[in-house]
Amino acid sequence: MQKNDVAKQTNSEIKLITTQTEFNAGHEIIIQFAINNTFTPLLYCTNSYGSLVIKPTLKNKILFYQIPKIFCKKRGIIYWKLSNTTISGKLNISPIQKVAKMETYIGPPSIEAGRKDYSMLIVIPTDSLDNPLLKNTAVTAKHQFLNQKKNEVIFTKNLISHKKLFSPLKSGRMLVSSECLGENSKEFTVIVYPANPTDFEISAERHHNYADGNQITTFYSSIIKDQQNNIVSDGTYVTFFIKNKKGNTLKTAGTTIKGIATAKMIHPDYETDWSIKAYIDGMAESNTITLSYKQVLKDFDVDFSENNRSITIGPLQSFMQQMIPDGLNITLLVYKNNTLINTEIKTSYNGFVTFTLNTAVYPKDNYTIKISAAGLEKEFKSIHIW
Amino acid sequence: MVGLNRNIIRTILIASYIMIVASIIAGISALFSYLNTGADRSTMLHTEIKKVIQYTPKINWAPLVNEGREMDAENLKNLERDYVNAWYVKHIAYKTNTTTGIEDYYTDNARQNIYAIINNNKQQKISVDATTLTHNPELEFFSEDGQLAVITDKNIVEYKQVLQNNKLVLQTTEKATYKTVFLLEDGFWRVRHMVKEKNENFVPKNKPVATDSLHIKGINYYPKDTPWDMFGDQFNKDTIGNDFKIIKEAGLNSVRIFIQYEDFGKANVKKEKLEKLKETLTLAAANNLKVLITLFDFYGDYSVLDWTLNQRHIETIVTAVKNHDALLGWDIKNEPNLDFKSRGKEKVIAWLTTMITQVKALDSKHPITIGWSDTKSATILKDKVDFISFHYYESLNTLTTAIENLRKEVPKKPLVMQEFGISSYSGFWKPFGSSKNDQANYHKKAQELIKTNKLQFMSWTLYDFGSVPKNVVGSLPWRKNPQKRFGFITKKGIKKPSFEFISSAE
Repeated sequence: MQKNDVAKQTNSEIKLITTQTEFNAGHEIIIQFAINNTFTPLLYCTNSYGSLVIKPTLKNKILFYQIPKIFCKKRGIIYWKLSNTTISGKLNISPIQKVAKMETYIGPPSIEAGRKDYSMLIVIPTDSLDNPLLKNTAVTAKHQFLNQKKNEVIFTKNLISHKKLFSPLKSGRMLVSSECLGENSKEFTVIVYPANPTDFEISAERHHNYADGNQITTFYSSIIKDQQNNIVSDGTYVTFFIKNKKGNTLKTAGTTIKGIATAKMIHPDYETDWSIKAYIDGMAESNTITLSYKQVLKDFDVDFSENNRSITIGPLQSFMQQMIPDGLNITLLVYKNNTLINTEIKTSYNGFVTFTLNTAVYPKDNYTIKISAAGLEKEFKSIHIW
Repeated sequence: MVGLNRNIIRTILIASYIMIVASIIAGISALFSYLNTGADRSTMLHTEIKKVIQYTPKINWAPLVNEGREMDAENLKNLERDYVNAWYVKHIAYKTNTTTGIEDYYTDNARQNIYAIINNNKQQKISVDATTLTHNPELEFFSEDGQLAVITDKNIVEYKQVLQNNKLVLQTTEKATYKTVFLLEDGFWRVRHMVKEKNENFVPKNKPVATDSLHIKGINYYPKDTPWDMFGDQFNKDTIGNDFKIIKEAGLNSVRIFIQYEDFGKANVKKEKLEKLKETLTLAAANNLKVLITLFDFYGDYSVLDWTLNQRHIETIVTAVKNHDALLGWDIKNEPNLDFKSRGKEKVIAWLTTMITQVKALDSKHPITIGWSDTKSATILKDKVDFISFHYYESLNTLTTAIENLRKEVPKKPLVMQEFGISSYSGFWKPFGSSKNDQANYHKKAQELIKTNKLQFMSWTLYDFGSVPKNVVGSLPWRKNPQKRFGFITKKGIKKPSFEFISSAE
């Protein structure tokens, strides 16, 4: 400040003329002061977002301060101070009580059926200048589910309005919208997923009950439902555990389509019993079913030739004396002085398997040979190989 | 003789040859070993987080009773972090009229408001240097999906300096209440709506502390081997204890010590330093001495955005020792008027005012002062401090007049001549300096004047120092050397003639 100004300031009498302190957003605001000289102090203003200073225009001993548009349009208090004086004041800018945008947030977007879980609708009705509307503005929260439609009035508080949307018993889609002062929001969707699955039944289907190691047994679950009888969501993962006579566990799994899970398992190639139970991890389980598989291979011939170095097994015949389908596992165990020296595995082809004992591996000597196929075992002691 | 000379030359030549070869080999091997070092494995991926604390206003959360989902500590921590950052980037934006960082903490729509104000201020060359000192947020609402939150921050204390064309237009301290809606976007809690609900001028009310019982007869103290580094590695209880004993036995009742702002860890005060400070106070109590603590020594920033860090600094120190018996009071800063020229008088005074308020808010029992470097400045903030302190290194002949003038302006508050003394250095750098006897005479006269003027006093200083750091009086030897000889006791521990006049007999 220059000396001149200081003199003016100390001699000046400034008086606020403007009496209005309540304004609607977007309205032009001019603050006027009466002054007895040409002192032109700056007006400091601060609102919700920041601060600035305004230069006055002086006309007929009246100081005019035009509040900038950026301040006029934001809801909240404008606090002002006249520099180099002790004069200060407040203006209150109210939002235009007319909705331009329904700012809507909804979440979580998917909930679980059963009236326990809920999603939350949050609506911030804002005016055309992006101000949230006044406290206690009525907002109608609307939602539809199947043949049910509900409208509920909520009121804005803390700049927002919110409503809990509880899930119905049935699964499906809940459509949500809202309305405020005649303006409607767009449509929002909350997906109501079925709740956790409950226990279920399983069944099995097979083409025959022979342990041929070739055909496939298919397991089915019953239609898996939640507590409210909603079919569980497609893709629910069901694991089938199979225990056989030896105590080994086999595992297969499938995902549900329309509540039914399907899983497959190849038949065993030896006589056994299966007990099967299915689980949805941590949520539900099935009953136990048992299946038994009959032996198909009654017996097989073994033929030694070429200095006993070529061993031909077969014909391998199935339950109708047909040649067993290719791929049956045959195991050859070679012992020398009661110690196992080698194991060879081959699969059948056209009902026969031929093992050739290599001279490099099996030098000329006496060997004990065991052959096992489809759970059957044959032993040939002291076979001289030369 | 010729043979001897030749041998000498030969020896020198060979020796220098060996030296040169050795240094070349040393140089090359150093280069080789340097080239053989790879990057430190731990720094290869640049995973270290270089985070510097910039802004730490006091945040007092109201108990959580919000609508909607229950708030958990982790989310609240993130919300607070982003909220504070939102304020910080806004302060920076309005100070510099740039938009850096705004988009991280304000949503698309909200940031338009800030951009508009920045544009306006840029055109009119306005900048606003602001800070917030206290926040009292209350969580109103937290949405079920954890993506939206509303808080009401009540009575935020905001301080602003409004400048136009780099000239201060106005300083203002306000108390304001804001409602803020946040959205969680890209992992940031961003401001969506902000509405100011209340705003008023704020004048902090500082309660004066009674100073009737104040009767300071003291001395400025640094241990003789560690001047300006009292709480460093060489901190020694025995040394300080012995010194305090000497001071007490000399008839004094108080000491003035200094806390270096950076040395103590700025906003994060180091525990070990705080412990040493407490030990010092305990030693003083054991010797029946009171301690005047001078804060913010060697601090010179004063920038508004630094205030919250200063606030954390004093918060830790003041709360740690405010109940100690030995505490006499707080000296906010040593000779702040010397920074008026370089930092701006208004800025320094605004800073001092705030710091007084902050210390008073933390400790309402102990008096506060500012160690002004001369009697002319001593009236600044006279209404805010509890007693007036000034330093006096001018001629003692003018002291009485200076005191009379000061008393006219501050009739009621105690006056403390908080630093005075004379160097007994007379040597190469100051051939016509004072002798030890001159020093004794000076203190004799000073004590007489103190008595006649009814002053309280703290002299400079107990010991002569071996070295004086550069940031005390600069590095010029004709300033540094006299500064080393202000003591009543020499480096070797011999009492100078002036020691007789360290205090006045009563």
